[in-house]
Amino acid sequence: MKTRNVIWWLLFLPIAIMLQQMAPGLDVLVIGLIILLQERSYKDCIWALPLFILLQEGMGSREFGGAVLWYAAVILFFNLGRWLFEVENFLFVFLLSACLGAAYFGLAYLLAPLQELHVDIQATLDAGVIQALFIPVAWRLAVYSRRWVHAHDETA
Amino acid sequence: MTPRRFILFPVLLLFLYLGMYTWNQRTGFLDDLATQLGLEAVGTVLKPLVSLQTALSDFWERYFDLVGVREENERLKADLIAIRSELVQMGEERAELRRLRELLSLPSDASWRPVGARVLAGRMGPNGVLETVTISRGYLTGGAPGTPLATNLGLVGRVLRASAHTASVLLLTDPGSRIAVLSQDTRAPGILTGRGLRHPMEVRFVARNSGVREGELLVTSGLDGAYPKGIPVARVVSVAPSDYSQFLSVLAVPLVDVERLEEVLLLERVGSPPPVGPPLPELVGPPVPRGVR
Repeated sequence: MKTRNVIWWLLFLPIAIMLQQMAPGLDVLVIGLIILLQERSYKDCIWALPLFILLQEGMGSREFGGAVLWYAAVILFFNLGRWLFEVENFLFVFLLSACLGAAYFGLAYLLAPLQELHVDIQATLDAGVIQALFIPVAWRLAVYSRRWVHAHDETA
Repeated sequence: MTPRRFILFPVLLLFLYLGMYTWNQRTGFLDDLATQLGLEAVGTVLKPLVSLQTALSDFWERYFDLVGVREENERLKADLIAIRSELVQMGEERAELRRLRELLSLPSDASWRPVGARVLAGRMGPNGVLETVTISRGYLTGGAPGTPLATNLGLVGRVLRASAHTASVLLLTDPGSRIAVLSQDTRAPGILTGRGLRHPMEVRFVARNSGVREGELLVTSGLDGAYPKGIPVARVVSVAPSDYSQFLSVLAVPLVDVERLEEVLLLERVGSPPPVGPPLPELVGPPVPRGVR
């Protein structure tokens, strides 16, 4: 499983970066974090979370801190949702993505004055909606592909 | 978790976050770290992927996209004839310019060296809030922060952040971009400011009596010290007296299509501007009357 897991992550990271290159403003790496939280792979979170933050902060143009808050919001909403729903449930992911879409807009609006940045309300709203629509679809695909990683466990 | 801890824990996290944020604003340590590691890693991943993408698209264009090639060829031949005749004319003008420069001892600005770079990506990730592109050169390969970028059509922007081999470029259309410009014909100075992608840029502080016209070209004035003088930047699309200031309200569109950039030229500063030649001889004229000198 370990080898398959490493292969999965080695494929996931470049694909995520490539998708982010194609869709400005979209966070694809967040799918990896949701998968880790669902699988309760907290050991993997230790390397994945700092890596995701460094990548997002490095490719972004905001001062350091935006990605930290964004991933903190993901963890917060995930854990709040876990109290109420089954985490593998599509409804849970759908509600989580809606909350994250709102958080996306909220963070952009909150952090802009700190750097004296201009906020394009419409563009930020659009980006939040795209992020919210993207998460359930990408999550579903990621969950399917993770079955290949876990297949070895089930047969063993 | 007790209610007290339930409240204290987020407050502690908030203080930690604010501490980190202000410390980073003061030192820039985390920004540098993210740029050196994160941006470099993104560039390392994107370079082969973009090369592959380009190779595939080239293959597609060469072997499958042959529809209309004949018509295009004929059109290009006609264009070539027109350009050749224009080139002959330009050659004359260039020779004249060289002669005039020598006459005036006006040196051409050789303190900027062009270096080619490939555009790897546009704005990326949830933190990409500025109008930026990522390029395949960093501070070790000619893309140090502040380096201006241009294409054959005009100015693109300047390097905002750079890792060793990858850099982010702030486009001239970003609301944070400021470029000192001159109108090409009327030589009216102004400051060109972006207003976001797909919005015309604004030229601020243009005097009402400057005579700037619609359709006039704006070039860099070089007065800001950030860009070489004389690079075409934008074309004026509207001129009107401002309702709330003593300046003209001038709007302009960039000459470069910043949404379709593929290759750019970095204008690397290679030293201080060349020294101006020996002072010109005193003007020869009628003798100055006594007591005036």
